[in-house]
Amino acid sequence: MIAALALSAAAQADVTLSYRFWDLNQAPAIEEIARAFEAKNPGIKVEIEVIPWAQYWTNLETAATGRNLPDIFWINAPNFELYASNGMLLPLDDRLAKSSLISIEDYPEALAAIYNYRGKQYGIPKDFDTIGLWYNKELFDAAGIAYPDEAWTWDDLIKAAVALTDEANQVWGIAAELNLQSGFGNTVHQAGGYIINEDRTKTGIAEPEAIEGLKFWTGLIHVHKASPSMAQMTDTEPVSLFESGRVAMYFTGSWNAIRFANNEYTKDRVDVAVLPKGKERAVMIHGLANVIAANTKYPEEAWKFVEFLGSKEAMEIQAKTGTVIPAYMEMTDLWVNSIPQFNLRAFMDQLDYAVPYPASVRAGHWQQLLVDCLIPAWAGEVSIEEAAQEAQRQIQEVLDSERR
Amino acid sequence: MSGINKKKLQDWFWAYLMILPTLAGTLIFSIWPLIQSFYLAFTKWGAFGSYEWGGTVNFERMLGDTVLWQSLRNTIVYTVGSVPAGIALSIVVAALLNTKIRGMSTYRTLYFLPVVTMPVAVAMVWRWLYNADFGLLNHMLRSVGIEGPRWLTDPKYAMLSLIIVSVWSSIGYNMVIFLSGLQGISKQYYEAADIDGASAFVQFFRITLPLLTPTIFFVTVTSLISAFQVFELIFTMIGINSPVIRHTQSIVFYFYRQAFVNMDKGYASAIALLLFAIIMAVTIVQFRLQRRWVHYE
Amino acid sequence: MSKHGSRQRINGKLVVHVILILGALLMVGPFVWMVLTSFMSLGESTRVPPVIIPSQLRWQNYQRVFTSFPFLRFYWNTFSTTVAKVVGQVLLCSMAGYAFARIRFPGRDFLFLLILSVLMVPSQAYIIPRYLLMVKFGWLNTLTALIVPNLASSFGTFLLRQFYLSLPVELEEAATLDGCNHFQIWYKVYAPLAKSGMIALAIFVALWSWNDLMWPLIVNSSPLKMPLSAGLASLQGQYGTDFPLLMAGSLMAVAPMIILFMVLQNQFVEGIALTGTKG
Repeated sequence: MIAALALSAAAQADVTLSYRFWDLNQAPAIEEIARAFEAKNPGIKVEIEVIPWAQYWTNLETAATGRNLPDIFWINAPNFELYASNGMLLPLDDRLAKSSLISIEDYPEALAAIYNYRGKQYGIPKDFDTIGLWYNKELFDAAGIAYPDEAWTWDDLIKAAVALTDEANQVWGIAAELNLQSGFGNTVHQAGGYIINEDRTKTGIAEPEAIEGLKFWTGLIHVHKASPSMAQMTDTEPVSLFESGRVAMYFTGSWNAIRFANNEYTKDRVDVAVLPKGKERAVMIHGLANVIAANTKYPEEAWKFVEFLGSKEAMEIQAKTGTVIPAYMEMTDLWVNSIPQFNLRAFMDQLDYAVPYPASVRAGHWQQLLVDCLIPAWAGEVSIEEAAQEAQRQIQEVLDSERR
Repeated sequence: MSGINKKKLQDWFWAYLMILPTLAGTLIFSIWPLIQSFYLAFTKWGAFGSYEWGGTVNFERMLGDTVLWQSLRNTIVYTVGSVPAGIALSIVVAALLNTKIRGMSTYRTLYFLPVVTMPVAVAMVWRWLYNADFGLLNHMLRSVGIEGPRWLTDPKYAMLSLIIVSVWSSIGYNMVIFLSGLQGISKQYYEAADIDGASAFVQFFRITLPLLTPTIFFVTVTSLISAFQVFELIFTMIGINSPVIRHTQSIVFYFYRQAFVNMDKGYASAIALLLFAIIMAVTIVQFRLQRRWVHYE
Repeated sequence: MSKHGSRQRINGKLVVHVILILGALLMVGPFVWMVLTSFMSLGESTRVPPVIIPSQLRWQNYQRVFTSFPFLRFYWNTFSTTVAKVVGQVLLCSMAGYAFARIRFPGRDFLFLLILSVLMVPSQAYIIPRYLLMVKFGWLNTLTALIVPNLASSFGTFLLRQFYLSLPVELEEAATLDGCNHFQIWYKVYAPLAKSGMIALAIFVALWSWNDLMWPLIVNSSPLKMPLSAGLASLQGQYGTDFPLLMAGSLMAVAPMIILFMVLQNQFVEGIALTGTKG
């Protein structure tokens, strides 16, 4: 009897899965999901590992090189193909087909397609996000300016930013952050340009339309003086400036809604609107996926967790807590209404003209090169044209190498 | 006769046994890696750690890599800026502490505090002090009417800022070594000088410093080597996306970027070998020069 | 004449104290500021004109850091690996140092020079292959990787050999007559006499181990295996320029070592002085 008990205890030995991701703000919701999963699956434990965004990809690549990837982790569009094409991820098609909990049709086609490589599905979509114009109501009220709305154009934004800037008191109209997804990626497309073309053969970063989109930001810093300088934004991050009332406007994504809702300064003072119109309207859309490492010791258990992460229950938790927009279209309203003081509908209203976050086999790499080239232009050391030319050269080199 | 042989064998047995762990560890984790580094410097790396023979491609790249040479220049500026100043200040503090004053151990503790503080934490605090808009340094300067510079984001000042932190955190360490060195100087010299009527100043320069030169030599060699390898300060205070990274990047930081951010371990190995050669050369030069200025009793 | 002389001496002492106090303030100032900032809110820290004394003791900052990062794990990882390294190195270097100092055996000088030669090489020249060895042994992301490669120390061996060389040979002769083999001679006779050297090495290793950043950064990818140094770097990656939180985290990271130092001041200082002068 005792032997039997001992045997059964050994058979039920706990499997511990490691789940790695980068957004600390999402940790509470994910903890909730993990506990719900563990309750339904005794014998499996999920260990959560948060690596800050700044270190995430280096960390992951080092782990991958050592065949030491966490069992399950987040992946995004620019980095997906690097991992998929090098056999780092577990293909999920068979298990997906047999699943009673989820099916690939549950998710928006565009999102699922991002995480499909050469006909095999490697990632289960988790969420999607767009970018919004966050603004500080208190600062707008004090200056007597009307809040941003759907009618706003680039000129409206520039005018307001200039009016809201009070350099003597270290308050600026907007933080011109150097960031592809939440910054210039949007304005480049709003000016009618593009970052890379659809078949990833060419980059348009040095073309006149893209240059205009880039100049939107450097103009705010150097011409209109309505933004802190690159040096100032390095000393103190734009998001910190926004959260202490030093900038009145800030472009950032829907994923920060929960952060601003929890922050004691921003929770009652800020709101969000759709991005202003340039020559056209455009906004970067992106979505993350959960993937399983090819070297995982527990593929069955890992799949069970990924399946659960992609299920209605997990999506509901993500939406209700206001954490992120779930990859289940019928639940997006839950998210929109989860933080009533913010106009979260603004993120959904832009879906019609959304442009996908550029991806290619080595997108993570050339996107870093692009930022490296633009840093001196943001700092005012070189002209945008020069920086863009250099960026175009370097990006093209990488794109060409992908095709070989 | 056979007894002696047996004793010798027994001796040898114990000797080898007692050095075995250290020897094995050194061979496996230092000597073999060094050899492999030489090999890796000639390899080309692809995604996720796959590599192949690349010939001299890394060294050719090194010749044309202006960023590398700039980081070498940065490292030299940093070393020249922080080592002499740090040593001079440590000697002064040690000398002051060596006069029979009360509270000597309290001072010693306070000056040593930065040494026991993790470099990452030191860098973090100073990063906050140096913050151009909200940091304490510029606040204090503003209160006396000076508009302080952008310590960490202005290329003209960034290196100076790093040097200041380096000196600040190393004074305590070297001070302790110099104190010990000072206490090793025989009192007789000072007594004789007192009788001759020499002032404290003269005594310091004619007796103390010359007799301290062996310690100064040791501290110089170690400080130079460690300054050349500066990494944490730049990693924490500057960071890859800072506008001044090109102006402050040290050679070890560049090495780290190539090896573990850009994942090009072949090129990074070549850089490591370059660093090795430079440090070797500098140390050899120092040893040669010591005859000129170091007084051994 | 003596009165004039003594006043000069007092003035001299005053000057010395003034200079030392100014210096001490510079040394301690940043720590005080670290503590003050750790209790501020983000708004207070970015206020113009500046806030010097926070309006309240915001323990929430500490709480937030603690709940966002597995600090207890950081402490444990750092503590356990440091202790392992200290004990390991002192033991190994002691044994080897004794053998090199007191036993004549073939190849002794060559092997000693071999071990010493490593000191000439900067760590960057072997860090990449060491990492590759970790991959091969399957030690990536383990505490073992933090400990084992650092157990064999050329510096420690050299230092302790110096110590043993300075001890009288007669002790060995006496013990040999008693029928002891070298291991026993080392263990019973010499090691206890070289205590100050071992303590010095222990402190040196502890300090270095506590502060090391690059190796943990490379070898650990999971926050659960990180020591404090890499953990702090993660903290900065997460909180960017939210300085109150960063200061709270820094303080939590440095407090243990500082407290230890306060308690064992003399040993620390003597230990460092010793490694400097004998080395």
